[in-house]
Amino acid sequence: MSGLGKYILTALLVAVATHLAIVHAIPRLSMQAAIERVSDNGAHYNAWTQSERVTPELRADVRPSPEFAESACAYDLAAGAVIVAAPPWEQYWSLSFYDAKGEAFFVLDDREARYGAEITLVRAGRRHPEGASQVVESPSRRGVVLLRRLAPTAAHFAEAQALGMEDVCASVAALRSP
Amino acid sequence: MRVLAWLGAILCGAALGAASAWAALEFGRHESLERAGQWTWSNAGADPYARAIAASDALLAPPARDVRVFSLDRDENGQPLQEACIYELAGGSLKGRWWSATLYARDGFLAANSDHAFALDSTRVAVDGRGHWAIRIAPVRGEARQWLSSRAARRGFSLTLRLYTPNDEFRAEADALPTLRTLSCPDAPA
Repeated sequence: MSGLGKYILTALLVAVATHLAIVHAIPRLSMQAAIERVSDNGAHYNAWTQSERVTPELRADVRPSPEFAESACAYDLAAGAVIVAAPPWEQYWSLSFYDAKGEAFFVLDDREARYGAEITLVRAGRRHPEGASQVVESPSRRGVVLLRRLAPTAAHFAEAQALGMEDVCASVAALRSP
Repeated sequence: MRVLAWLGAILCGAALGAASAWAALEFGRHESLERAGQWTWSNAGADPYARAIAASDALLAPPARDVRVFSLDRDENGQPLQEACIYELAGGSLKGRWWSATLYARDGFLAANSDHAFALDSTRVAVDGRGHWAIRIAPVRGEARQWLSSRAARRGFSLTLRLYTPNDEFRAEADALPTLRTLSCPDAPA
């Protein structure tokens, strides 16, 4: 190979590697930032955080959905299974589970959970806890669960926030410890 | 000298890779947009580029089985939507369980006004005897029965239509979606 050729070939190989690395890294890095935001930089895993009502003054996310009362839980399955539970809501509501790459791997809405939801989240391939009513496997150790309740008015939003106090996102180990 | 040449090749390659990734994602973002009448919607696939675009633009968005999202940022003449103009968004029954229309300023946030009229949904929109509805989009409400405030939205604002739990028979086609028309506009050609 000529003197210049090996440098050009090296540059092209590095270009291809960089291109692929960036494209594949974006979902994971974006989701990592979201997990850190929801967990308050890792301080609060397996706990719900209720979002404020969307107003023109709130500038956290672009194109927010102002009709929803949203809660988010950054889960961490390091200590084992996590229980995610929510009572029913009179209007549309949904639970969406996102893995570490931002893929929604499980979704449940009020049509499928008319009486509320109680889900045991485990790492894919791990043993399912005995007696768990609905077990969902997460492809990754960490991720985010989003709970959306349709609440188009201020009164609905206040009701949804109050009901949200009954939501559960907690590790089974923490629930069993005294 | 030789070390500098290798370093230069690696740096050039990295820069080329980063630039081509950015270009591919920008091109892919544009290419994944489908058009239905005045509305556009994203029809990204499941390849790594689509995943990267989705992670950048709509991280933690509700999955498509639960909601279909459509955007509109041009009037019937292809002009950017302007605060100074008055529009009417009109439609009929949408084949889904519930829908909402939201007005966003050009930066993607709600317009910075205190009108509390940035969104309307199917539970709050009055329909006539044939199931038709109309929403005024203007900086002031005037005599409109229902409106979305474009005050402080300036030039280049957009509308987002979200259709929740679409029926199986829903098709993202022009006649299945609302239509925007300009009622008055000071900059419109005579």
